Amino acid sequence: MDEQARSILQRIIKKTPSKRLETIIRSWNCLSEDQLHSLNYSQPKWLFLENLVSRCEENRVSLKDVTKLEMIYHIHNPNQGTWHACQLFQAEDDALSVHFTQFRESFIAHLEDVVQHVSVGMKKLEDGAIWVRIAWGDNFRKPNHLKPTYLVHYLQSSYVFIHNVTPKHRPFLYQALVLATRHVSIKECHLSSRSLTAMRDLLMKQYQQVFPTNQERTLKERNAPPSHPNIEREHAESSEGRHQMACEAFGCGVLPKLETAVYKLETRYRGNSNNTLNDGDELFRGVVKFSSKNILESLRHCVSTGMAEGPVTPLLSSITQKGRNYFVITDKVSGATASQTPAPKA
Amino acid sequence: MALLTPYSKIPELNTATLLLVENEEQFQCRLADAIVQREKDVNVNVRLARKLPLPVENGETRPRIDLVVFIVNLLSEQSFLVVENSLNHLSSDYFLGKVCFVVTSARCGAVSQERLLSVRKLAASHRCPVICAEHQTDDGVTMAATRLLTILKVSAGLSPMPTTALYMSTLTRCTVPSDLDED
Repeated sequence: MDEQARSILQRIIKKTPSKRLETIIRSWNCLSEDQLHSLNYSQPKWLFLENLVSRCEENRVSLKDVTKLEMIYHIHNPNQGTWHACQLFQAEDDALSVHFTQFRESFIAHLEDVVQHVSVGMKKLEDGAIWVRIAWGDNFRKPNHLKPTYLVHYLQSSYVFIHNVTPKHRPFLYQALVLATRHVSIKECHLSSRSLTAMRDLLMKQYQQVFPTNQERTLKERNAPPSHPNIEREHAESSEGRHQMACEAFGCGVLPKLETAVYKLETRYRGNSNNTLNDGDELFRGVVKFSSKNILESLRHCVSTGMAEGPVTPLLSSITQKGRNYFVITDKVSGATASQTPAPKA
Repeated sequence: MALLTPYSKIPELNTATLLLVENEEQFQCRLADAIVQREKDVNVNVRLARKLPLPVENGETRPRIDLVVFIVNLLSEQSFLVVENSLNHLSSDYFLGKVCFVVTSARCGAVSQERLLSVRKLAASHRCPVICAEHQTDDGVTMAATRLLTILKVSAGLSPMPTTALYMSTLTRCTVPSDLDED
């Protein structure tokens, strides 16, 4: 086992809680049943690592196998690190018929065409997600397995989620992706989050959405009446209305866990009080960042409790509607820019 | 603009009605539950509102309101502003012992003291009592409910002792200490 494999292994063991070591190593399938039994998972991590390495050396576990373990670790912990979403455009006629083997062969072939030393690991999960691990090298160096790029794609969907890619390798990756999925172009979605599942749910609309409706009935059913006949609400109707409005904008039930929403302002300052800021043609640049454990939940709460005045500005509701959490606001489009939201504390 | 008046309707027998005004609608529900469950002798009605004025449509069905309670959450500036605006929609008869302020989150360290002070000043200028309530624990909610019920019974004229709302309000009203008043 070489130095690189050892340090990857060490990193995984370090990051995994002791309770979950066994499941991860079991699903790796590189150690025999006897060896698995001989390992003591409650040992200190460094001691456990020594034992694990010696077992691996008995089995002549290669670097490739260790990278597989790393993939398993990432598949079990999809909500670590920052993920970016990209969208594929202009599907070709045969895009719908691409299957896993075809995707794998074509992806690896296209990548190897442009980068000489590259190591690709790929795995298809039961839910249809394809996980790809790419270790990049260049013409003179072997692939660096310590800084791999991860990529998740659902076949026949137009979204790709990417983790940890350098600007240098980005074009190669995009090209291989576009060719392997039989699309024409790929673009960034301006959506990033620590949680892969949240991004997937948001983009593929896998959360409970509410569509505008005139039916009062659904409202009444959802809002439970006060628990006691002596309690009565004076503003019941308006609060129902606000709740409905909030749900239409952000969805109801459990919402995807996004952490941030960033608005970059490239607009002119509008105000009549301060003359130094009101400086003619100069742009007033700034960044407005909302952050919270669950930003959509916070925004919905602000609207439904009336902390933020309705109707919901398109700037906030487009987080769910367009699936983005990074926006650049410029002066040119007059409609969307004018309203600087009365920033609710999230 | 319709003012809310305390004496325009005939009271019902053995009944007291309480109006809880809170912009956030969080604490008021729990408080209302605690109040109706706690009181067994008297028929207590609780009306929940976000702000005053109350909707005109409910005017017919609304009973006579014996006590108006404004709940101010110190964590939110909006909460205070709404209460300040709502006070204008009350008839002056209410301020003779039928209005009370409840302050929540006063214990939170992040809250500036000025906000509590401004609530106290507001209450003092209207001759009303201020109650600080703990809204995070069940005990705190029950405690607040008990104290409100005591005031409610007096202001609704249900107290067996010869205590009137006006008499009680002179005893319990908030006064801002003079050293704070000078700032």
